[in-house]
Amino acid sequence: MDNKAFEFNPQAADVFTREVMARSGQNITACYQCKRCASGCPVAEDTDMVTPNRLIRMVVLGDIENALTNKLTWKCLFCHTCGTRCPNNIKTGRIADTLKKIALDAGIDPQQPEYKNFHRAFFNYSLRWGRINEIGMMGEFQLRNMWDHLKKGNYIAVLSEIVGKSTLAWEMFKQKRLHLSFHSSKGRGNIPPL
Amino acid sequence: MDLAYYPGCSLYQSAKLYNHQTKLIFGRLGLHLKEIEDWSCCGATSAGKINDFMAVALPARNLGIAESTGFTELVIPCSACYSRTIVAQKQLQDFPLLKNEINLELSRKVKGSIKVSSTLDVLKRAIRSSSFSAIPLQKLEGIKPACYYGCMYTRFPYDVPVSDNVENPRGMETVLEALGVAALDWNYKTLCCGASSVIYNPDCAFDLMAKIMRDAVSRGANCLVVTCPMCQMNMESQQDHFCEKHGIKERLPVYFITELMGMAFGFSKKELQPAENLFIDGMDWTQLCGDSV
Repeated sequence: MDNKAFEFNPQAADVFTREVMARSGQNITACYQCKRCASGCPVAEDTDMVTPNRLIRMVVLGDIENALTNKLTWKCLFCHTCGTRCPNNIKTGRIADTLKKIALDAGIDPQQPEYKNFHRAFFNYSLRWGRINEIGMMGEFQLRNMWDHLKKGNYIAVLSEIVGKSTLAWEMFKQKRLHLSFHSSKGRGNIPPL
Repeated sequence: MDLAYYPGCSLYQSAKLYNHQTKLIFGRLGLHLKEIEDWSCCGATSAGKINDFMAVALPARNLGIAESTGFTELVIPCSACYSRTIVAQKQLQDFPLLKNEINLELSRKVKGSIKVSSTLDVLKRAIRSSSFSAIPLQKLEGIKPACYYGCMYTRFPYDVPVSDNVENPRGMETVLEALGVAALDWNYKTLCCGASSVIYNPDCAFDLMAKIMRDAVSRGANCLVVTCPMCQMNMESQQDHFCEKHGIKERLPVYFITELMGMAFGFSKKELQPAENLFIDGMDWTQLCGDSV
């Protein structure tokens, strides 16, 4: 377990803290490290000792690399337990979310490679058709994954992607959860201009 | 009483059962759900991961449609849709500039004035109404439910009015008490089930679901009751996977609250789960309750 002190970077600290505060809308300087968030976090058991309060500390100290690549940033499920328990009403889930966006903007690969593809597929699908059709959305998600594997020349991963997701589809079919009908929203024309 | 109704994508697909049951139960309580026409996806959590503006604009479109119908209250059964919509509405109220920008493109302008309610909010009110007391209730014997709420019913990414206790919500327990069912007290009623991370990070999601399952089982629950279609899908369809991984022998059926209400109202299993090819196989609840149903 890596438990060393975070790096203080005076040049980065100010700029980075401001950016995270602006994009997440959270006043992170109000954090006084009471760790109520840490005791509630459902994923903190397996994040190499990075708890929500320590994530805030990283940002405030300007330890950018650590903040964008630690396990908590990527494992956070956006469940908002930290936010509801914080005495200063800091919604750390939104900070983790912001850090993910900053990392993706900076071209850092997410720790769960499928994370980005899942949300992109879901979002694009909802914009295109107005409503989500689970098969179509998962199809787009799968194509995105396969494209990523292909770009890296990882053909075995392409194959296991097909097998894995077909198994999932078959299980869903067995449980009668798979629906083949197609739904869309007719007035979706006024979504893209937004 | 007429209420505007936003089902959301899940209730047209993997949680079709919930859509059917919600309409059935509300109809019995004298509440008529009018589905808003041409609704679109609320963006769920994904929109906010990609584009903060669209995360508000997508639900805003639905709010605009709902308001234009003249209803005063919009009912949303899906917890994710409810969370997104109520957060978007509060943000529209708090940021008039954002509202103006969204309204530039919407054919039905949004004011942000309609009341947004979850199914449970309405049911909690309905059990105090005369139409509820007029319904002869069947006794549900032998049912020991653990009510599981998940994240999105009480915890929001923005400060909005919360309709239940954040740490210990009692909405479902209140409704079940009115039906004569005593729900169990347990620890993990608001723990996250992992939601969509079951797709891209299944290990993490399985760990969480196993914790929920283990506590429910050790308290002697014989079913889980939920209001969120995502929780229901995860807890039921992944149950074999996470239980095998964590060495849990027991299996529990996961009901929507509407199913237990339907049973108490005397609907038959066929009425609650009609066309077989459309719905998930709920576990056989007649086995659970014996002959009392």
